[in-house]
Amino acid sequence: MSGPDLLFYFFATLSLGGGLLMVFSRHPVSAALFMIVSLVGVASLFVLLDAFFLAILQVLVYAGAVMVLFLFIIMLLDVGPGGAKASRLKFISGVAGLISVGLLVVLLLDLGLGSMDCSECSAVECDACGESAAFAWPEIRDETAANGNSLIFSPSVKAFGFGLLAKYMLPLQVAGFLLLAAMVGVIILSKKSTREGEG
Amino acid sequence: METVAFIVLLLPLLSACVTLLFLRKHGNVAALLSVATAGGILAFSLYLIFAGGGETFAWEATWIRMSGWELSFGFLMDGPARLLLFVVSFVGFLIHVFSLGYMADDDAKARYFGGLSIFMFSMLGITLADNLIMIFVFWELVGFSSYLLIAHYYSTNEAAQASKKAFIVNRVGDFGFLIGIVLTYWAFDTVNLVEIENQLKDIVSWNLENPQNQILNPVTTALCLALACGFIGKSAQFPLHVWLPDAMAGPTPVSALIHAATMVAAGIFLLVRIEFLFTAQALSLIAILGAGMGLYAGFCALVQRDIKKILAYSTLSQLGYMAAAFGLGMPGLALFHLMTHAFFKALMFLGSGSVIHACHHEQDIFNYGGLRRKMPLTAYTFLIGVLAISGVNFLSGYFSKDAILLSAYNLNIPVFVLLYAGAILTALYMFRLYFIAFEGEARSKNAKNAHESPTLMTAPLLVLAFLSVIGGYHALFPDAIVGAAVPDLTVVAGMDNHLWMIVLGTLAWIIGIVGAKNLYGKVGQTDPLAAKAPAFFALCRSKLFFDDIYDFYVRRIQDPFARFIEVMEMLFISGLMVRGSAGIAGLFALLGRACYLGKIHAYAFWFIFGTLGFLAYAVGFFGN
Amino acid sequence: MNTITPHHFLILAFLLFGVGFLGVVIRRNVLLVLMSLELMLNGINVALVAFSRAGANLDGSIFVFFIMTVAAAEVSVGLALLVALYKKRKSIFTEDMNLLGN
Repeated sequence: MSGPDLLFYFFATLSLGGGLLMVFSRHPVSAALFMIVSLVGVASLFVLLDAFFLAILQVLVYAGAVMVLFLFIIMLLDVGPGGAKASRLKFISGVAGLISVGLLVVLLLDLGLGSMDCSECSAVECDACGESAAFAWPEIRDETAANGNSLIFSPSVKAFGFGLLAKYMLPLQVAGFLLLAAMVGVIILSKKSTREGEG
Repeated sequence: METVAFIVLLLPLLSACVTLLFLRKHGNVAALLSVATAGGILAFSLYLIFAGGGETFAWEATWIRMSGWELSFGFLMDGPARLLLFVVSFVGFLIHVFSLGYMADDDAKARYFGGLSIFMFSMLGITLADNLIMIFVFWELVGFSSYLLIAHYYSTNEAAQASKKAFIVNRVGDFGFLIGIVLTYWAFDTVNLVEIENQLKDIVSWNLENPQNQILNPVTTALCLALACGFIGKSAQFPLHVWLPDAMAGPTPVSALIHAATMVAAGIFLLVRIEFLFTAQALSLIAILGAGMGLYAGFCALVQRDIKKILAYSTLSQLGYMAAAFGLGMPGLALFHLMTHAFFKALMFLGSGSVIHACHHEQDIFNYGGLRRKMPLTAYTFLIGVLAISGVNFLSGYFSKDAILLSAYNLNIPVFVLLYAGAILTALYMFRLYFIAFEGEARSKNAKNAHESPTLMTAPLLVLAFLSVIGGYHALFPDAIVGAAVPDLTVVAGMDNHLWMIVLGTLAWIIGIVGAKNLYGKVGQTDPLAAKAPAFFALCRSKLFFDDIYDFYVRRIQDPFARFIEVMEMLFISGLMVRGSAGIAGLFALLGRACYLGKIHAYAFWFIFGTLGFLAYAVGFFGN
Repeated sequence: MNTITPHHFLILAFLLFGVGFLGVVIRRNVLLVLMSLELMLNGINVALVAFSRAGANLDGSIFVFFIMTVAAAEVSVGLALLVALYKKRKSIFTEDMNLLGN
């Protein structure tokens, strides 16, 4: 096993373990902290996949902004463990959840792995499909290029910016508008709630 | 010409619309408008009658067109139409004038005069129409306006019930009429009267010329009897006569106009219009029915106490005469009697209206008495009417009625016997009415305080009395009006046994007058006949139990059947189909509602079930 | 990265998604439900980036960018709603938010 492989297993364990601990932790604050661990693990996986820009965004937006917002709200509302009432999982609910999640994962795996066609995911010969070890990741170059209508994968931020501002111009604008709408919505929600609280 | 016809037809409609839409609160304006309209109708009708110079005038335009089928709207001005148009517009105008006086104190004048205008519109429509469907439409409209006007005093139970009765009984007859129209259309492929007549003529002449290969005549007795159902309902003939006496609950001028002079006569007019369709069997049936009605109504009239009901039964009886004349194959006589009857019956109804008005709406003749001295003008004009209807020599009724009797004597003896008995009875009950109401001493406070009616009411009486006297001399009338009656009158004039008939006719009214003088010369508050012949009196009072039979039918047969239908409707249509389909939708709604647990986790589970379902489909779990 | 294939990343992605969903289903604290939703989105992101890298196609990565944007907006609005709800109901537990039930 080479170094990058070990790194993959390490970060995979980190993100998955962080997620599990988040789900099962009693206190919201510790849940939020485990969530940050999980998100950082995912960011590291992005690095392994040569998506450096996304890794940085993951840390900045998710681990930074979103989780800080969560912590802020947790502290604002001053929610503790919630006592016996909140922490006690209903047995039937837990069992049902586990069964359904198990089914979901099994089906997803079946769908994702069973129907995966090698000719789509790799440019190299197809007999490699049988042995997973023989899979070759495509070579990547640090330049901006387009192959017909689709953009060639590149780790550079420049390529990202080119894709966003050229091919995905309209979705970018829409996303910006969405953020604006969310901001206005949040302001109105908070204002209204205070007024009602006063009234 | 058609423009004038349109003016005649639409003038009253316009007046009715204006009255009922804008003048509800202005009774006097409405009354004047309505009378002016009636005057206008009279003027234009006279123009319409005389402008054609006695020629038949026909005009039509497409009214409704539906793929390959066309209904036309047209006018047919022939002899019968001109005669009826004259009667309707002339008598209608007089009655409008009379109404001005009679209804002066009424609260709902606008409604009354609006109703009169609607009636005039519908009646003129029947008169002018050139096809059966158009006649039917206006036929229903006169029924509707009659309903409106009978129910003028709708706050009284009697008027409300009578209007419903008139309307419903007429529906029965009109249903038969409708079937007849369908049959006619089926047989001739048209409802236009002229076209039907021409087709029939062609068939008959073809059959005469080609005795070898005859064409089947499409006319059947069933067809003409179905059409005659319309006449039976509208003219209140046996067995649908029950509505007319009750219809007297309406205002008296309405009774005079609708239920004596014009609307009930429209039934006769319809028969005359479709006379060419009738087979010999149907004609003899109508003759017997009419003659029977003439006698039966006479017996009923003999024992009534209400002045208007006596006149109503008298109307039934006279309509029976007209039907008998028609049944004898003498439609011209029927039309002629229709005209003279319109004069003297309208006169008597208006006279009774004058009396009722003077006696503060007292209608029982035994509470009158001695009115001749209080209101001589009304009494003498009424007496002229009585003499005319009784067939006193050289008055109008003498000519028309004795013509019918003479033709019956020569053509059909059983009909003659019935009609002659009816004639004696007519004289009897009319003089009974006259003696009780106008002679002797006043028998109530109202009668003592009676006084002559205003000029507005007596003037029409005088005009009608004049016409009742001279109306029988058809030579006095312009040919444009009585042209339709002249051929049949000429035929009768050429018949045998004239002298014999004069003797018999004179005998009839003398028997009547003497009998009435003996029986009713001096009466108290009770009917002397009830004491002298109680069984006969009771039988006549019961009107041969027609009302009871219909009542029994409705109560015991029709109502249970209707309830049965109602239950079926509740079970199957309302229950199974309406509620059932709603129930199925509701079931789905319940199912959907069951998913709304109000718990976020439940929704999450629905979400995962949905996802699992999609995934299972995607991986081919369902065998795709 | 010799033995690691896109399959590995996919399995990880599905597991992350499953863990997130488990949190959504069994946790009753709305804050934690929201966090679990974020975890599910992260699972999807991992899968998308893995596909993008394996197919040498940048479109998948750009899509992740948009998912992040939407997630950020969602979290901000969701938390604002939660605060408003908390002020009304004095609770952030899902069993107390049952206005539609019964």
